[in-house]
Amino acid sequence: MSRFGALLGVRLRRDAAQLALWILGTAALAGLTYVGVTGSYGTEQERAALLATAVANPVILLFRGLPSGAGEGAFLGFLILPFLVMLAAFMSSFLAVRHTRADEEEGRAELVSATPAARLLPLAATVVHAVIANTVLALLCAAAVAATGLGVRGAAVLGLATGAAGLTFFALSLVAAQLVRTSRAANAVGVWIIMASFVLCGVGNAAGTPSADAQRVESGWLAWLTPFGWAENTRPYDRDDLAPLLLCALAVVVLVGAALALQGSRDLGASLLPERSGRARARASLAGPFGLAWRLSRGALLGWAAGGLVTGVLATRLSAVLDQVSTQVPAVQVLTQALARDGSLAQAAVVIFFTMLGVLASCCAVQSICRARQEEARGTAEPVLSASVGRLHWFAGHAAVAGLGILATVVGGILGAAVGIASLADADWSLLETVLVTGAGQAVAAAVFLVLTALVFVVAPRLTIPAGWALVVVGMMLGLFGPLFGFPQWLTEVSPIAVAPTVAGPDVDLRGLVWLLLAIVLGGGASALLMRRRELAPAG
Amino acid sequence: MDAVITTESLRKQYGRAAALDGLDLEVAPGEIHGFLGPNGAGKSTTIRILLGLVRASAGRATVLGGDPWKDAARLHRRIASVPGDVSVWPNLSGGETIDLLARLRQGRDSDRVAYRRERERLLEVFELDPRKKGRAYSKGNRQKVALVAAFAVPAELYILDEPTSGLDPLMELVFQRELARVRETGAAVLLSSHILSEVEQLCDRMSIIRSGRVVETGTLAELRHLTRTEVSFEVPHGAVLPAFPDAHDLVVTQGRARFTVDSDAVAAVLPELARFGAPGLRVEPPSLEELFLRHYGGDGAGHPDSSGR
Repeated sequence: MSRFGALLGVRLRRDAAQLALWILGTAALAGLTYVGVTGSYGTEQERAALLATAVANPVILLFRGLPSGAGEGAFLGFLILPFLVMLAAFMSSFLAVRHTRADEEEGRAELVSATPAARLLPLAATVVHAVIANTVLALLCAAAVAATGLGVRGAAVLGLATGAAGLTFFALSLVAAQLVRTSRAANAVGVWIIMASFVLCGVGNAAGTPSADAQRVESGWLAWLTPFGWAENTRPYDRDDLAPLLLCALAVVVLVGAALALQGSRDLGASLLPERSGRARARASLAGPFGLAWRLSRGALLGWAAGGLVTGVLATRLSAVLDQVSTQVPAVQVLTQALARDGSLAQAAVVIFFTMLGVLASCCAVQSICRARQEEARGTAEPVLSASVGRLHWFAGHAAVAGLGILATVVGGILGAAVGIASLADADWSLLETVLVTGAGQAVAAAVFLVLTALVFVVAPRLTIPAGWALVVVGMMLGLFGPLFGFPQWLTEVSPIAVAPTVAGPDVDLRGLVWLLLAIVLGGGASALLMRRRELAPAG
Repeated sequence: MDAVITTESLRKQYGRAAALDGLDLEVAPGEIHGFLGPNGAGKSTTIRILLGLVRASAGRATVLGGDPWKDAARLHRRIASVPGDVSVWPNLSGGETIDLLARLRQGRDSDRVAYRRERERLLEVFELDPRKKGRAYSKGNRQKVALVAAFAVPAELYILDEPTSGLDPLMELVFQRELARVRETGAAVLLSSHILSEVEQLCDRMSIIRSGRVVETGTLAELRHLTRTEVSFEVPHGAVLPAFPDAHDLVVTQGRARFTVDSDAVAAVLPELARFGAPGLRVEPPSLEELFLRHYGGDGAGHPDSSGR
């Protein structure tokens, strides 16, 4: 095998399982959305009504694609294309960092660069690896959509747009990984670029020019700055225009060229942005297992709390807009009613957004528990446990930080919701009861994910990270998207976030609170008992 | 006085592979005990059991009079340790890591002034910059972080797993001085190593481990008794060699005669050597390396332990 082939082969082997999950998940989302579309917006009139509302209320355009008419295929693109692009973007961005800066950080790059493969060949292999991954993603997305019977041409455009945008974000992160010193920082830059592009594109679309029949929007210039805008302007099943993807191609060529130039000129392990030196002495707070866990997770916690704050603002701020949509589109009404039971539509909006808040809080909790596993696998748990720290005490530090993360995220959401209410012209403070009850309920639901992940950590350490995230993804798919995809109620209610206490009309509905609390007590007790008897499980 | 560390028929299974297969080890108070063996022989597994990080599958281990698994946290107040594969937190500076580990060991009510003084002294002798972030440290510097953290708080027992790996020869000397210092305080040390010269210089007694068992234990002098001393001298051209009692494997090559005798029978061959004259006589006691090769040489090299732990 050639050197290049060997480098590419090791990348494909290392990522096979992970990329299969990303790609199949993305394709499945594309296919499932068709089910949702035909289920919830079966007729042309319903779709036209929703599009008209979206065009009239630009806030909705922030979270959806570019309206391109009420045809089934075009409507599907409007609903889901930005999210397909987002998944491809995350997959590609993490891939870029994993095979460049992370390899460098772990010393693998040094091993490889010392062979005749030298400095540029591994980077070239990473580029080809990303092209392959995005091509497969594009093909499977197209196949999933074409399989619904919508037509091959539009499906191909949709797939190509997704793959091309994914590759563009790959190239952006490839450059980011050249500029910063650590893989953590490079991943953070990648995520921020993706989220900022998503919002910029949404603002660009919202500020665009609507057509006379309120079924289409021409993107504003802000949207044209982002790969999201380029992908959406292909308008699958409408104009089927591949020309905007030339911008993706141009960006990829320029950015990959820049990455190669940087890689060729800098020292191994060096970066353009230097790293600051640390403190010579530890602060007093860095003492016990909790102090350590807090120090390691505090940055992430702050991020989740900020996400909670934004979600909270949207929950109450958007409800005015949603009110209009729901009265005009029966399908939306059905969806929101299903989640809110018999409450008002403002309540329904809060419930939907706070269910998302529950997902955020669960992610925060799972991430903090995964940190404990990373500590163990990386070898930094060993010196702590070799000091005067019991096994349970050590893990309790991480679990406590996870609990604190749930609290921070939910309190952030509640504060945001209060800000949202206060910012409305006719502030309706009665909504605050819904906010508080739903927020507390979702905190309990998130605690269930904490406890379940903790149990996995204690019983099957090596599965902690995949199992923890899988639990959250499944919980979200069932609890948040289940009603949209028309899943049966019992299946939806398997998800803790779907059975957390809420408010229905004037009454507090406890729903599955007892079961959630029972799961927390039993799972928490079992974890604590078993943790006392658990051996260190290093990586390998 | 009771032993500081005792293990009896200690076993550890990882699935089907036996990492430890009936290990008997004893470390006396105040001694530096060498723990010798090639990679994968079970040194690190033994140390992890002694620190209560993993639990023995069978057998008994006692550390400072307690059960290392059940009393882990309590015992660790009296134990300092350096793990075999030192990892540090990438986003904590070396100084923060050292302070954190010291606080985890000693609690808040300890003598802070003494700790600070000791910390400063160690940073100076090990030439370590405490402001660098963990990820910026080389292997040797990570090792120094672990060593400073271990030596900065007094302990009754030091459990050190290949503590000098990655250190340069100057730093190895610094380490040896620190080890001598803690021995002065009466502490015991279990020093795992595969660097024979280090063990030969530092250790009072040693145990040689192979495939999860201790195959030899004692002082270097005691271990030497088990082996043969090599005797060699020049044979002038045409001279006839006398018969040496107890000599083994006598050969003459390039004008030099060589043979080995049991180490406790060297005196028996001296009269005959004196009579012969034996110009250029050399009597070489076996080095630790030879002891070691006796256990691992030949087929030993073909027995890499399967567990890798």
